[in-house]
Amino acid sequence: MKKLLIAAAALVAAGQVHAADISGKLVLYTSQPNEDAQQTVDAFKAKHPAVEVEWVRDGTTQVMAKLRAEFEAGAPKPDVLLIADTVTMESLKREGRLMAHDGADVSTYDPAIMDKDKTYFSTKLITTGIMYHADAPVKPTSYKDLLKPEVKGQLAMPSPLTSGAATIHMVAVTSHPDLGWAYYEGLAEQGANPQGGNGGVYKAIAGGEKLYGFMVDYLPIRGKADGAPVEFVFPEEGVSAVTEPVAILSTAQNPDAAKAFVDFLLSQDGQTLAAAQGYLPAHPAVAPPAGFPARDTIKLLDFDPAAALEGDAANKAKFTEIFGG
Amino acid sequence: MNHANGEGLTLAVLVVLVTLLCGVPMALLFKVGLTVNGEPSLGPLVEAVASRSVRTALWQSVESGLLSALAATLLGTVLALAVGLTDVRLKGPLVFCLLLPMMIPPHVTAIAWIQALGPSSPVLKTLGLAPAIGSSHPIYSREGLVALLTLQHTPLVFLIVRAALRRFPRELSDAARICGAAPFAMLRRVTLPLLAPSLLAGFALAFVAALGNFGINALIGIPARYTTLPVLLWRRLASFGPDVLPNVAVVSVLLAAVALAAIAVQMLLQRRLRTALVGLPQAPLAIALGHRRLVAEAGLWLFVVATLALPGASLLATALVRTYGLPLTGDTITFANFAEVLWRQSVTLRAFANSTAIAALAAAAIALISIGLGYFLALRPGTPGRLAAIASGQADVAFAVPGLVMSIAFILAFIRPLPLVGVSLYGTLWIILIAYVGVFLAVGLKPVAAAYVQMDASLEDAARVCGAGFARRLSRIFAPLVAPAAASGAILVFLTAYNEVTVSALLWSSGNETIGTTIFNYEDGGSTTLAAAMSTVVVLATVVVMVAMNGLARRVPAGTIPWRD
Repeated sequence: MKKLLIAAAALVAAGQVHAADISGKLVLYTSQPNEDAQQTVDAFKAKHPAVEVEWVRDGTTQVMAKLRAEFEAGAPKPDVLLIADTVTMESLKREGRLMAHDGADVSTYDPAIMDKDKTYFSTKLITTGIMYHADAPVKPTSYKDLLKPEVKGQLAMPSPLTSGAATIHMVAVTSHPDLGWAYYEGLAEQGANPQGGNGGVYKAIAGGEKLYGFMVDYLPIRGKADGAPVEFVFPEEGVSAVTEPVAILSTAQNPDAAKAFVDFLLSQDGQTLAAAQGYLPAHPAVAPPAGFPARDTIKLLDFDPAAALEGDAANKAKFTEIFGG
Repeated sequence: MNHANGEGLTLAVLVVLVTLLCGVPMALLFKVGLTVNGEPSLGPLVEAVASRSVRTALWQSVESGLLSALAATLLGTVLALAVGLTDVRLKGPLVFCLLLPMMIPPHVTAIAWIQALGPSSPVLKTLGLAPAIGSSHPIYSREGLVALLTLQHTPLVFLIVRAALRRFPRELSDAARICGAAPFAMLRRVTLPLLAPSLLAGFALAFVAALGNFGINALIGIPARYTTLPVLLWRRLASFGPDVLPNVAVVSVLLAAVALAAIAVQMLLQRRLRTALVGLPQAPLAIALGHRRLVAEAGLWLFVVATLALPGASLLATALVRTYGLPLTGDTITFANFAEVLWRQSVTLRAFANSTAIAALAAAAIALISIGLGYFLALRPGTPGRLAAIASGQADVAFAVPGLVMSIAFILAFIRPLPLVGVSLYGTLWIILIAYVGVFLAVGLKPVAAAYVQMDASLEDAARVCGAGFARRLSRIFAPLVAPAAASGAILVFLTAYNEVTVSALLWSSGNETIGTTIFNYEDGGSTTLAAAMSTVVVLATVVVMVAMNGLARRVPAGTIPWRD
């Protein structure tokens, strides 16, 4: 009975959010690229013209550094956070920094990519697979193809020490029963040199310094469409994904506008916008952009953000042991 | 000692101001790293020093810093002597080109060199000289890192030494030559010993700048597996979890300690090397090189071409292709990237306006502070000198700690509303301005302090005997004498702040973008070609700014504008 009442109250509250005239200032911290962030904000404002959106864009690392400094000084500024990965969100959730949004409608989404307590919500799938140079001798289709002798010395990969997406990829791949840490040891023997973030790896391969590497999907898929000599493949074992989650801070000044923003990102319109920007939408019913395979053919590797957060230090220590940092 | 007539007050204001801008933000940050459960503790620091990765990074930071500072001092001094003491032609354009590498943000320099020497180098590809694909990149090594740091900081040393040469009394060189000293003997016995304080100042500045340089350390150091402290900081920032800030703060304490040690050594040496001279800025010496002049000129211009043309051309070529990795041909050339950054993105012009305004304001403020602080630092031994040294030490540490960390420190210090006025600077342009003044004060102060060190104390005594008060002594005697050094310092500050990216990295907000953060955001979002287009525009704009400064040359004391004779 009590549960029913809570559910009913939540429904009423959700209804109120939509009915009420939402206005005021909304502060958004995001790690989306500039143009995408601008488009997202514009589309949201078209729906809620009374809301004035102030947004700051930076890499996830800088956004989090800024936010941590604001926490330390006791004056966090943003209402909404839209960053790359769920592990960071999980960490904020544990510190009690996130506000639950029980009214959010996630019924159509895969529960594996949503927080069960409704404090953060995945908005798209930025998968990590294999990118290779168009002139490369091997055309990899499986992770194991990167252990072939002709690949030796031609591997690039983003480092988990600097990239959240790379950390999640490492955790997902090393938890796979057929790959495990032995696979990463194999990569080290192949002379893989994990360096920096995805942007650096993309440039190394597009520029022909290296021929193969782990890479987020949209850079090579967009680059290929522009004529760059690059290819991207979703390996048969599956891909890992950072899901660009959105969350409302517990200290939000304007929770109503923040909830409306989350609802917009999860709505059909918000998801169609993500696809139009060249990303794989999280919503299963929204068609992926050109250059991507059909949604149901993309296999995701298993991943649990809470476990990844627990094992973060140990995983990175293991990685450093194998690759020497 | 009587401290009446404003002298004590001036000193107090200067020291308090510098402490507020440099010391307080850093102290707040260090506090985060050196407390455990609210209790002060050295535990985290001991723990950090015990870890192998921190020790390695510490050593590699010191090593790359010393090597690059040494190389930059050698190179900068040779260039300054060639331009300052000989009769090579086209000095204006030459100095101009020698200073240009400084105007380019370090991460852009790194990107340009990576592209210039790699398999996809648009220049080498067009010439058919590009290395085979998949070959490893020569620049990803300790030597590559040191070479780029050297190129980045050579102009710093060059400017400081050149400003010193300007104040060099002609009489000494003339006397040496009348006595029959050959140019090299004069250099060894007269010129270089007298330049020692400036060489030391240049070396210290280059070392401290290398310590805190983030762009080159990250873009070259990470692929080379040559981890330095700034990269270690970045890694700690990128980890998940709540203990990010304390971890970052501990590494910052280490960096600050290295910087302080370097500064202490510099101060000790500077005391021993002091030689007092009095000289007005005057016509530069021009030793006739005779038939060797062509050789010297060729050497100088070759250096310019090697350091500017190759990365510059790479940058331009990248800005002109549709997507990164394509060769530059008639089919792939496009001006779309320039159109995008100049017309479609409103942020570009706003960033130009913002950066120009706050860099100019910061440079002016720093020049004024330096003229006051430098006086106490060099000419007033005892308590005033010690107080000034404490302020200048804080400025040095603020410059040595990487900008990204300083921007965290400034958030901690200035996020709350200011007392008395009740407004918060956070989220406005003003916080970036005060951060620039705090972080770059060392750059502007170094040349001025070196200039004061060479002044004869008899100037001060004579003025006092004649009854000139403090304000009058400063404005009528010392300010004109140190003006060239202060102006060189201010120009250095302007050009450094104009393109910097790390200090404003966490302080900018929508509407308050800076040039550096805009370029970094393009690059970070994967739009390499847009970043290259914007960088190209910035370099051109910098050239325009420098040419505009030429227009001021007639109205300011001789030697103020570094590339004018």
